[in-house]
Amino acid sequence: MEGIFGNLAIGFIEVFKLQAITIAGMTMTLPFNIIMCLIGVLLGTLIGVLPGIGPVATIAMLLPVTFNLAPIAALIMLAGIYYGAQYGGSTTAILVNLPGESSSVVTCLDGYQMARRGRAGPALATAAIGSFFAGCVATLVVAMFAPPLAEVALKFGPAEYFSLMVLGLVAAVVLAHGSLIKAIAMVILGLLLGLVGTDVNSGVLRFSFGISEMADGIGFVTVAMGMFGICEIIANLEQKEHREVFTSKVGSLMPSKEDFKRMVAPILRGTLLGSALGILPGGGALLASFGAYTLEKKVSRNSHEFGKGAIEGVAAPESANNAGAQTSFIPLLTLGIPSNAVMALMIGAMMIQGIAPGPQVMTERPQLFWGMIASMWVGNLMLVILNLPLIGMWIKLLTVPYRYLYPSILLFMAIGVFSISNQPFDCFLMACFGLLGYVCVKLGCEPAPLILGFILGPLMEENLRRAMLLSRGDPWVFISPSKPISMGFLLAAIVLLVIIALPALRKKREMVFVEEK
Amino acid sequence: MKIKSQQDWWAGWMFIGFGLFFIVAAIGTPEFIDKMVGTRLIPGYQMGSSVRMGPAYFPVVLGGMLACLGLLVLLDSIIEEGPKVAKFHFRPLLFIAVSSLAFAYLLKPLGLVLASIILVFISAYGGHEFKWKEVAIMSVVLVIFSVLVFVKGLSLPFPVCPGFIEICPIR
Amino acid sequence: MQRLLVLIVLAAAASLAAAQPGPQSWPTRPLKLVVPYAAGGPVDISARLLAAKLQESLGQPVVPENRPGAGGSIGVELAAKSPPDGYTLVMSAIATLAINPSLYASLPYDPLKDLRHVTLLVQVPNVLIVANELPAKNVKELVALAKARPGKLDFGSGSTGSTGHLAGEMFKMVTGTFMVHIPYKGSAPALADMMAGRVHLMFDNLASALPSIKADKVRALAVTTKARSGFLPEVPTLDEAGRQSEAGLRGFDMTTWWGVSVAAKTPQAVVERLSAAIVKAMDAPDFKDRLRSMGSEAPLIRTPDEFASFVSSELKIYTELVKRSGAKAD
Repeated sequence: MEGIFGNLAIGFIEVFKLQAITIAGMTMTLPFNIIMCLIGVLLGTLIGVLPGIGPVATIAMLLPVTFNLAPIAALIMLAGIYYGAQYGGSTTAILVNLPGESSSVVTCLDGYQMARRGRAGPALATAAIGSFFAGCVATLVVAMFAPPLAEVALKFGPAEYFSLMVLGLVAAVVLAHGSLIKAIAMVILGLLLGLVGTDVNSGVLRFSFGISEMADGIGFVTVAMGMFGICEIIANLEQKEHREVFTSKVGSLMPSKEDFKRMVAPILRGTLLGSALGILPGGGALLASFGAYTLEKKVSRNSHEFGKGAIEGVAAPESANNAGAQTSFIPLLTLGIPSNAVMALMIGAMMIQGIAPGPQVMTERPQLFWGMIASMWVGNLMLVILNLPLIGMWIKLLTVPYRYLYPSILLFMAIGVFSISNQPFDCFLMACFGLLGYVCVKLGCEPAPLILGFILGPLMEENLRRAMLLSRGDPWVFISPSKPISMGFLLAAIVLLVIIALPALRKKREMVFVEEK
Repeated sequence: MKIKSQQDWWAGWMFIGFGLFFIVAAIGTPEFIDKMVGTRLIPGYQMGSSVRMGPAYFPVVLGGMLACLGLLVLLDSIIEEGPKVAKFHFRPLLFIAVSSLAFAYLLKPLGLVLASIILVFISAYGGHEFKWKEVAIMSVVLVIFSVLVFVKGLSLPFPVCPGFIEICPIR
Repeated sequence: MQRLLVLIVLAAAASLAAAQPGPQSWPTRPLKLVVPYAAGGPVDISARLLAAKLQESLGQPVVPENRPGAGGSIGVELAAKSPPDGYTLVMSAIATLAINPSLYASLPYDPLKDLRHVTLLVQVPNVLIVANELPAKNVKELVALAKARPGKLDFGSGSTGSTGHLAGEMFKMVTGTFMVHIPYKGSAPALADMMAGRVHLMFDNLASALPSIKADKVRALAVTTKARSGFLPEVPTLDEAGRQSEAGLRGFDMTTWWGVSVAAKTPQAVVERLSAAIVKAMDAPDFKDRLRSMGSEAPLIRTPDEFASFVSSELKIYTELVKRSGAKAD
């Protein structure tokens, strides 16, 4: 324990270190690392707020700039962009129902509903507070348990990932609050859409119909912008005059005492779940926010409020995704394995600075390692300090008449989607998904389960086929006693399915009963 | 037979349609259709075995499940009362779609400035109220913001001015 | 309105006139460096490094533009079909120039006829790594093990048709062994499964495997280049292993490489100027260091003609290899 605090102290000293910097011929003594951290989180917040512009492209563009910096300063800044984008992403999700990152899809569900009821302030504050708390806890987890947790992560092979994905998909059904069958059907439709593109196992192009732009599949951002963003704009425009001003009553900025009481337990549970899932390099962090939302909806006393603006539905997923974002540094720092594209870029950044990522970083360059961890905590603190006062400004944005707001949102979405691969086709797809989303809404089918299916579909198929290849076609590999983790997930999936299906069935029987009478 | 839930009725057909579509696209068109047309319409992919699953395996299973669920929703629609399908509003749909497409396909030839202005004007026209002056001011503000943030700040490789103008004040 | 029209016509005429530059004046406007992959990969990073350097020496902005899709084909096609004026460059790689032509049923460009290859930028060796649990301590033992347990060993790769996959197939072919190919999406998840012992061996490019090797999470048995790598001086080459025991491995030489190409009809003077600028960048110590830290040894091939003949010989090798491996896309 003492060692940990000693190490963290090394880190904090590194972060707050004063350095002599020469700018434009003038030499100044500045806490340079902290300034880089601030620049990182500011930039991250900006690109997080802008829909479609993700941290991957931004970090890639900034890489050449970081070469002239010391390694620690460069890494602190890049990491800041990553978690700053997480904060910024929730802002857009809550204010205008636009999930720029897969992790903020669930934040849309209740966050946006809160905003529509004039409670955008508390929703944003909850997101910031939850994220901050989760960030602090997860930073400690990284500092204390990184190496043993990395060993746990290695226990996850294709079979375990497949079972985890099954559990995740069952959980996806809970995201909808309407018909159960339709929710399941939407999940499957999402799974199918996720399969478009090059098949990992055989290299065959599937469902691309000769369109070379579709050879790499459909991007998440394209689908999310279409089904949430475009669809929402159309839905708002069809209501006559109703939404000229987004919301007339802005309400209080900060959460009430009651709100605070309600968010404590969800934040704790979300943090726990997010920290656990974040360490899995094969897509665990993707599930963090979804899992946390499902968990809350099932255990909360206010579960009937979910989907209509429950504060728990913002607190839990926001803490989970931030915790996951922090702990996803564990496989990177201890094994040298990146868990997502941003982490892969961090590896690139480290290597270009002449550092081989992996466990030896901790022993060979303790200042760098612990400095980075300390900077995560400092960065989270900065973000919460930065974001709480910003809430007032964001809320003012909501009082802008909708006829000004929507062309701007549309323009930013179009720019963001276009920038993914610099071709018009993605915008065309976005419009198609907008149409699909609009039809779905009219038919009483909710888009959130589809999006989760879309994210998990390729991962699920990949792992299923890989597990079957590795086991030479033995279907028992998922439930054999030698794979307790996989078996556990599948059992949990069955239990969850029963829990979900029972009330729905009961309700139906009652309704049939009533009709017969 | 009476349709009790219009929403479910159409949703059911949508799911069945998607399910069958993916199955056909995965295993190819049935033989009798090919014979009727004279050529292989959609070649399809290999099914493979459960050890070495082919590219068609997973989509066919999922497509089948989706079609079955669609059928269930369809059945539900004639058993259980449900809501009607709300009216489709084609005006916003059309204008939003056209404006984003226009932007996408004009960005490279015309540059960010003109493409943004076009997007703002078309999309604003799809709303309830359209005032020339307001929209013009709005597009100027948005253009300045976009050029500063996206081209200058984030250095996205977008042309700012139309391709046929040799000298562009902003690069 | 009419005046505007006149202006536009004038401007268009002016731009047409300006679009025919003499090679002496090249470049007079910003250059575009097409990266046919998504932002963030090694090719993208090196492209951004190069762009910054070229900007200094050419005096015009060089803007990297990501055009991912279809295994890189979309971006390369874009460059191949752009006007041959030297303003559209593309990061062309082993995948798009040597492997994809036989992997895909149809490719929208001909890697030799539609492109002029300017300079080879990066050459990264592949390295044969095995899981720590595997008893084999060298190539000879590995081959013996694979022969004793035919079809029981699994080899991972970053994707179907990647150099890692094809190197594995080549290895199987020349040693007469049978192992099962397990494709992954990128080499990181494959490395994770190797560390856990679920996959037994893999040919990975040195840059991505190096951290795990240095951390003793996996064991390097050999590098796939003719000469040993400066990063792993104690690891023998497959060619050396071939000299000692497995004769089939002699001359085994497979690297991952990428460079810069332009449209085929680009004037010779422009190509030479561009090549000189790239070589100058590659000789700059800081740039060299950056590329080295990505696992790349400085390529010996430098001139456009050398690069072109290198591409055509690689194309021949991989066409054969892809055919024998049975890998196919599309």
